[in-house]
Amino acid sequence: MTNKKVRVLLAQFPLETHSRGIITVAGMLRDAGMEVILMGNALSEQIVETAVQESVDVIGISTYCGGELAQGRKLLEIAEKKGIKERTAFLMGGIFPPTDIPKLQGMGFDGTFLSATKEEIVDCIENAVVAKG
Amino acid sequence: MSNEKTTREVLAEKLASEERTPLYNPEALEKVKTEFDRWKGTVVREKDRENWDVTPQTILGSEIPRGLIYTPLDNADLDYEKDLGFSGEAPFARGLHANMYRGRTFTMRQLSAAGSPEEVNSRLKMLLDRGATGTNLALDLATVQMFDSDEPEALGQVGTVGVPVDCVEDMETIYKDIPIDKISASIVTHYPRNTSIVFPMYLVMAERRGISWDKLPGSSQNDFIMENVVRSASEYIPPRDDFRVQCDNIEFLRKYVPKWNYVTLNGYNLREWGTSGITAMAVAMANGIEILKDMERRGHDVDWAGERIAFFWSPANDFFEEVARLRAARRLWYRIMKYRFGAKKPRSMLLRCHVQTSGVSLQREEPMTNVIRSAYHALAAALGGAQSLHIDGYDEAYSVPSDEACVLSLRNQQIIEAETQTLQVVDPLAGSFFVEAMTNEVENRILDEIDEIEKMGGLVEAVVSGWLHRKAAEYIQREQQMIADGTIKVVARNYFRDPDLKMPEIWSQEYDEKLGKAMIDKLARLRMRRDNIKAGNAINALVGACKSEDNVMAACVECARADVTEGEMRRAFTDGFGKWNSPIFV
Repeated sequence: MTNKKVRVLLAQFPLETHSRGIITVAGMLRDAGMEVILMGNALSEQIVETAVQESVDVIGISTYCGGELAQGRKLLEIAEKKGIKERTAFLMGGIFPPTDIPKLQGMGFDGTFLSATKEEIVDCIENAVVAKG
Repeated sequence: MSNEKTTREVLAEKLASEERTPLYNPEALEKVKTEFDRWKGTVVREKDRENWDVTPQTILGSEIPRGLIYTPLDNADLDYEKDLGFSGEAPFARGLHANMYRGRTFTMRQLSAAGSPEEVNSRLKMLLDRGATGTNLALDLATVQMFDSDEPEALGQVGTVGVPVDCVEDMETIYKDIPIDKISASIVTHYPRNTSIVFPMYLVMAERRGISWDKLPGSSQNDFIMENVVRSASEYIPPRDDFRVQCDNIEFLRKYVPKWNYVTLNGYNLREWGTSGITAMAVAMANGIEILKDMERRGHDVDWAGERIAFFWSPANDFFEEVARLRAARRLWYRIMKYRFGAKKPRSMLLRCHVQTSGVSLQREEPMTNVIRSAYHALAAALGGAQSLHIDGYDEAYSVPSDEACVLSLRNQQIIEAETQTLQVVDPLAGSFFVEAMTNEVENRILDEIDEIEKMGGLVEAVVSGWLHRKAAEYIQREQQMIADGTIKVVARNYFRDPDLKMPEIWSQEYDEKLGKAMIDKLARLRMRRDNIKAGNAINALVGACKSEDNVMAACVECARADVTEGEMRRAFTDGFGKWNSPIFV
């Protein structure tokens, strides 16, 4: 890894009402020396657009209320279309059925968390960023 | 800030002018003091003396320091009549009703969620059959956020975490065969805008069933703090406009649906999002104060306007403080209504509350431990004199509650009621030196925070400036840090964590593709069937109401009658008021 700060975009799907999780994770990642852009609720198109503008290394999605499969798939499709899928790490955390984890990984999510410590999330990001070059 | 006195200043003045009759005689207190000093200086170990005050650290805590022991010296000027009185009488510290739970146990109102309107209708009836005494309706994500099931934002989320309501027809299905004129309904609309949109669908459903509005018992939330602060969303309207919508709803419901509790000032979700119980209560009361000021400005009598304000609290881990908080809040609201607003009717001075046990306090690790946590939370609510109770499911950190978790929560309530014998005696912790000292401390701290809000120009200003958002974000991050470093002990998570911890298989709601499709088809049929010119005119009238001073809920009732959908009404609000950006996100 270079000394360049890892840039992370944190967002939620458009209807998500909960933000305790994303605020918590934003604090953890800033604490770990990363640059965090806390975007909030957005459509996949807007998330990818912001990711391109801000040249982020990581997109993290916080979800509690369903939609992880349908919205997650859409996010990755748009990221691929805009040419950032290969170089960006995708993470998802929150509450969703454990049975969705292999499906999300199959789609291309690099990390999926139903609960995690700061160290686990930071490790996952660092490894994924290295792997994505 | 105008030269208007703050609530704290008004109360201090009024209370200072009252003559007090202290319960303890000074001579006896003097003796206690001498003996206390002797005991503390000779019997108590030096180490305990040095660490006399400890600061409790727990999830959603307020960090109010605790002494080792409490005595009459901690309540030296207690005036029984002025500070406590009797249940059913001022200052209501001891409870709202003379006979409290002997007259009527708290309403066992379990929130019921998830699935199609048909499935939720069955679940409501199942809970009523098993002894629930009210219904509590959770709306799905799209409905809460005011989107139709067929909007792109709702993709993959229809019917998750609650029931979808797009139009009057859905309300008809959900409440089919439920006697809505007899069994009170709580409709968790959360936001002012959502109350304006969804509640008229309930009213029009009642109208179509031939039940007149003045017979409908129940409550809705209608809290602009929920919409502009607690909620995360892609779209907000400006807080000042949302505050107006909140007050328009109150005015309309007060006039036309007189048995409906038109606002539930929601300390619960604010606390669960990330504040202490003190801040949650201060914000809810500051909102109540601003509502009443606005009603006065609109020319309404404070007793007329104040009579059906309800509150919603979250009892969490700090047991005695939770009990003290409920007692303190009742007394403080009474004092605000009487002294600040000059209310005359006892009913408008009552702080009636629904209580839901804390969800954020529940854990993923060894989830059955949550049954124990929730039982303590619920017992605190009962000892504190709550009117209505929901106990969270033990599977809170996994999913919306399963049927099994729902029933177990109801059983938890029934055990408190029928087996613990804790409800026989009114306000049983009154007179405890500790609980009374905490009650005073909590009341003062709530008042301090109300004062802080009023000095920055009132609650709307505290939201517009981002003050409340920042306060919560800091609280959330600090709490996480304290759990990570073990300052806050959480059993099975960071304290006595099982080294071989395995996550159990718990049912988690999976997405039902068929439900989403059924809702989308239903909307398509509705848009074909209805009179679209009438619907369009009703929408235009709603935009017009937002831009003028006409009551927005009255305009929404016309929309519901014309089968305008939820998303169409939401867009009318944003057309009328414009959009606002939340200060939490950049």
